[in-house]
Amino acid sequence: MPENGTKRKEFLLEMDEILNLPAGTLRGAEKLEDLENWDSTSLITFIAMAETNSGVSLSPDEIVTCSTVGDLLRLARVDGNQA
Amino acid sequence: MGRTNDISAVTDTASIAPVSVQLPGNATDLMRKRSALKRELLKQKNLVPTRIAILGGSTTTEVKSMLELFLLAQGLEPKFYETGYNRYYEDVQFENPVLWNFKPEIVFVHTTWRNLAQFPEILESENDVDKRVRHEMARFQSFWEKIHDKLGALIIQNNFDLPHLRPLGNLEASQSFGRVNFLMRLNAEFAKYAQSHPHFLINDILYLSAQVGLEEWQRNNFWYAFHMAVGPTATMALTRSLTGIIKSIYGKSKKCLVLDLDNTLWGGVVGDDGVQNLILGRDHAVGEAFLDFQRYVKGLQRRGVILAVCSKNDPENAKAGFSHPDSILKVEDFSSFKANWNPKPENLREIAAELNIGLDSMVFVDDNPAERALVAEYLPNVAVPEVGSEVSSFAGILEREGYFEMHKLVQDDLNRTAYYSSNVQRDAAQANFGDYGEFLASLEMTAEIRPFIPTYLERITQLINKTNQFNLTTRRYTSAEVEAIAQDPSAITLYGRLADKFGDNGLVSVIIGRVLGETAEIDIWLMSCRVFNREMELAMFDALIEQCQIRGIRKIVGVYIASPKNGLVAGLYSSLGFTAMDATPAEQQLWHYDMPATYASKSHHIRRAADAVIAAPSAENEPVPATGLL
Repeated sequence: MPENGTKRKEFLLEMDEILNLPAGTLRGAEKLEDLENWDSTSLITFIAMAETNSGVSLSPDEIVTCSTVGDLLRLARVDGNQA
Repeated sequence: MGRTNDISAVTDTASIAPVSVQLPGNATDLMRKRSALKRELLKQKNLVPTRIAILGGSTTTEVKSMLELFLLAQGLEPKFYETGYNRYYEDVQFENPVLWNFKPEIVFVHTTWRNLAQFPEILESENDVDKRVRHEMARFQSFWEKIHDKLGALIIQNNFDLPHLRPLGNLEASQSFGRVNFLMRLNAEFAKYAQSHPHFLINDILYLSAQVGLEEWQRNNFWYAFHMAVGPTATMALTRSLTGIIKSIYGKSKKCLVLDLDNTLWGGVVGDDGVQNLILGRDHAVGEAFLDFQRYVKGLQRRGVILAVCSKNDPENAKAGFSHPDSILKVEDFSSFKANWNPKPENLREIAAELNIGLDSMVFVDDNPAERALVAEYLPNVAVPEVGSEVSSFAGILEREGYFEMHKLVQDDLNRTAYYSSNVQRDAAQANFGDYGEFLASLEMTAEIRPFIPTYLERITQLINKTNQFNLTTRRYTSAEVEAIAQDPSAITLYGRLADKFGDNGLVSVIIGRVLGETAEIDIWLMSCRVFNREMELAMFDALIEQCQIRGIRKIVGVYIASPKNGLVAGLYSSLGFTAMDATPAEQQLWHYDMPATYASKSHHIRRAADAVIAAPSAENEPVPATGLL
């Protein structure tokens, strides 16, 4: 859906900001373990952002199941395929 | 009104770079953009370094990260030490060498109700609860005293928030064994400790948690997952509050509130509507909101915030507005009053010059967005909050920004409006004299210049940390350090109070000298801008010479460290007869002065109190023991 496509794009740009990457770096397939700045601080920010943007309350247990940025988007309900 | 558009000459080019970075108003955006924001904020010039140890009873990563951004936005560049999770107590009691080597200037103790090991048992006797309170206080006191004694740091301690669950319901508050009751008693004990220990400050999270709301304050998912005792939104409120305290310690709180009049202090346009038709007073909903805003402003003035008017009005009309029977504010509450048709940036510059304060000490409140935009554009160092046009929001917005936060309140603060108002009288008197010396003689000035005494240590610390213009070295000391200096026999300490026929200026000048053998080096020499050009600096120098004579000092070394704001005193040592020492860099110059065999006083218009400097201790003003020998 175009709306979800826009949301996804915005969310990826916001993830770029969290991880201190140039805008447009992340596409979704990146493995979290390969991202240098993916740490507890960025995880906390991601959870806060998912709450603010999508009203989704996430627990770290759910996030442990994610291995890629795309998995995070699904958890945050911004790609149309809810986790 | 031909002058209204030429404002090119009033652009603020003050040397401390203004913060062009606006921090987001919500926690998520602040956290998300932190890296980019930090990069931008670090581009500012003349950031003041500070070392802060965060001793956490819970996870403090977010506290550190947000605090860093807020402090950078205030022109402070913090270096941090963070304890491991919940290691706040052990790090101090077992003297963690990393913390000890870090030498913090400020220690922030981030504890919450979760850090209390035990609460009273249900139906526990009052005596037993008393014992618990005393036990808990003893634990904290020994911890604080170790920080103070061993690290010499200023302490900022959270008081206690409240648990959001209440198994005993309302009895939690009313019964001595209730948790709310117990925490409130501890908070009262913490406050009592703060009242008698100037190096100990409270960060009031009881208030902050109420403001944010307990459920938002303690977010379960962030607690269970990360052991963050305070959720992200609440962390933002907490770090804003901390920033207020820290910026006050560093003398970065604002001093002056500049106000528009029409539709800011009253509803309507006084020049068009007339005084009798202004919307102000209890008989009108909006009038009541204006009244409450005036009451808030009056409260700020009473605690020492200088007020000024900057209004597009005829002066007679503007002043008449304050004769409205319901007006709480009166013309005499304002230390500067600019009502004319000039551009507001020009008037703000004049107000700053008249009051002898920096533009970065001013906050401008105006309901008109165009005026706000103009001032923000031309005078970026003036704080211009986006107050909107709804008067009922004005006070809350000023409050949230914490512009006027103070970590101490001393009598001199309360007298500030009187000082500035009597300065206006002095300026008027000066106009009647052709000769400046005659004017100074007419002021009938008397100075009290003595070694530091305990009564004034707070005021002395305050001046050390906020004086920028007449300040030879701009060295800052915490209250613990000032206390130590006052008791150090190798230090020469002098404070100066100045009074004249228009009033008492209060404690306005400080000198600290370090004695090594037969040389005294001037570590700190500062003077309040209230008394520029009154020969007070000469009277202080005369007193310094006396102290040096008593101690057999043969040479005085003066230090001048250039800062963006102290160009005023670049030539002071030269004017006093010091000689520049060779090969010292322009930004940190050393000057020397050989003690003459005979010395003639340089100050001719200030009478020194007869018992000054070598006064015998009195019951009221007992000198600190070591310096009492001066």
